[in-house]
Amino acid sequence: MTAMPVGTASTLVIAPMLVVLVAAAGTLLLGRHPRARTAVSLAGGAGYAIAVAAIDWYIVLAPDAPGIATYQVGDLPAPFGITLVADGLSAFMLTMVATLGIASLVFSTRHLPDGERRSYYFPLFHFLALGVTGAFLTGDLFNLFVWFEVMLMASYVFVAYSGGPQHTRAAFWYVSLNLLASAVFLLGVGGIYATTGTLNMADLAQRLANPAAYGLEPVPVVGLLGLLLSVFAIKAGLVPFQFWIPTAYRAAPPQITALLAGATKKVGIYAIIRLSFTVFAGAEVAIDLPLPLVGVAITGDSPLPFIGAALFVMAAGSILLGGIGAVGRDSMEGVFAYSSIGQVGFIAIPVAIATTAAGPELRRFAIIAALVYALNHTLAKGLLFLAVGTVRSATGTSRFADLGGLAKRSPPLALAVFVGSLALVGIPPLSGFFGKFLVFDAAARAGSGPVLVLLLVGSLLTIAYATRLWNRSFWGARTDAVEAATVDPVQVAILVGLAVAIIAVGVGFEPVYEFAETAAEAALDTEGYVDAVDPQAASDLGGLNGGGH
Amino acid sequence: MTGVVLAAAIGTLFALGTFLLLRRDLIRVVWGLAIISQAANVYLLAMGGIAPATAESVPILAGHGEHVPETADPLVQALVLTAIVIGFGMTAFALVLSYRVYEEHDTLDVTELGESE
Repeated sequence: MTAMPVGTASTLVIAPMLVVLVAAAGTLLLGRHPRARTAVSLAGGAGYAIAVAAIDWYIVLAPDAPGIATYQVGDLPAPFGITLVADGLSAFMLTMVATLGIASLVFSTRHLPDGERRSYYFPLFHFLALGVTGAFLTGDLFNLFVWFEVMLMASYVFVAYSGGPQHTRAAFWYVSLNLLASAVFLLGVGGIYATTGTLNMADLAQRLANPAAYGLEPVPVVGLLGLLLSVFAIKAGLVPFQFWIPTAYRAAPPQITALLAGATKKVGIYAIIRLSFTVFAGAEVAIDLPLPLVGVAITGDSPLPFIGAALFVMAAGSILLGGIGAVGRDSMEGVFAYSSIGQVGFIAIPVAIATTAAGPELRRFAIIAALVYALNHTLAKGLLFLAVGTVRSATGTSRFADLGGLAKRSPPLALAVFVGSLALVGIPPLSGFFGKFLVFDAAARAGSGPVLVLLLVGSLLTIAYATRLWNRSFWGARTDAVEAATVDPVQVAILVGLAVAIIAVGVGFEPVYEFAETAAEAALDTEGYVDAVDPQAASDLGGLNGGGH
Repeated sequence: MTGVVLAAAIGTLFALGTFLLLRRDLIRVVWGLAIISQAANVYLLAMGGIAPATAESVPILAGHGEHVPETADPLVQALVLTAIVIGFGMTAFALVLSYRVYEEHDTLDVTELGESE
């Protein structure tokens, strides 16, 4: 494979966003032609997958790949223009989302609500994907805010989409919370601009690493990063910001909930990883925060230990609350919504370990663990929420009281859900085994006994709710609803496809691990990130004014 | 001086927004959210700093003679413009949504809404 010219690699960075944007506009224009609309939508999904695969190969994974590529929007040099950056971490997240997105998109063609609302489904779907993609690719803090909003606006409509009383109510809570979160995001962004004089992530990293040269006083960034962390924690659904998850996840159509759990949640995790490690890790701020009440002192020379301490508490709360909450739910999507809260705790624990890690080796390893676990959660939870959609369209219900004996009614469906549940529990050789194994290993290497106990308790709770769900809906006597069910073969085929993907990731784990390793290295490689974006010093402004561009 | 006035205005707006946000009436909640997002916008504008403008920071001033007024940083103005548009759209959406909630639940009282299943 010959190396690509720099210009091509650079254009590739923006390709997935362009594809989704065209698909969104196309489906919007073709609103009244169902066939053409579906065709454009599927073509958009395929184009997106190709664009992401091209980024994966040509920018990150190929033997002679540059590892990172940037696209300066409008040819304005950083930090003045908006920079888009594709590196290993972005590529890993995009691949994860593309896999689930395709499954959800194809599923959507088989499971759509009736009436006028159909015309708006696919445009919204693509705008949601656009927001997620933009958030993964942007290299600018304010631009990240904008992509968050794009993603949220589409998700607001989806939560209200089904149009029942509970749905509008859930949507109202969801919108209110996120409007507030957006204001907090702006506070963080404004504060960081006032402190450092830039919002370009690479420029930010460069200035924070050498504050004296830029005449900065970096101390406020610790608190500002805390503000941003709370916004990202809302997106990720970490305790104590988890309360919107069950209602919103129940209200949205199941194939969209699969995306909310699999993609938008991961945007929160991605933003925490990107900002903490790539951008703020180099900031030299002496932290000395004695907490006499709990007998712990947070000390360090960067904002990370502070973030890490908060993340530990939030992750621990998520694992416990999510696990305990999931055991008592009375519907499939209720169990999975609470399970999502718990699982995101399992992703946040290794991130927290990485922020407080003593050495670079442990930090790298913990991020790999978080990424592999995130991948497993996206695949498994995506499959399970899509399965809720299948069960609902087949039987008209997803409440345990009305379900039972599904296993015999549709063995392939049962098998797919079985694989998905086992992946959540973490049984070898599925993807979930490696996810759990790496998270446990990271905790063991960090030498933290309480964290290991917490992970163990969380895993036991996972087994409890997965078993209960299985007993209540797939075993037992067939209910009338199950007896009368007609299971859609295409939907089941998609579920089986995802189940195969889960098994494939587990069996052929080596390349997945290597990809995650590349992603973790990219997340930690601040220098490479800054070099690639190449933010100019303010004194070069003359070139910009000279009209040379 | 400008700084003190701005800080007081931002503080008042946030206080008012928070107060409204905690009301039982849904419309007041929307008002609260709208005010808080405006407060965030004013805050963002203030974060650029208010300084005597130079032709270097605001190029258009170069052709405007001797008198150069105090100006805010143009970059944050661009950011705020984006934030205002987003905030405007979302407030409209929240208002429509609260009307829909009223249609379906026959109440705008947050406590009653929380109880109705």
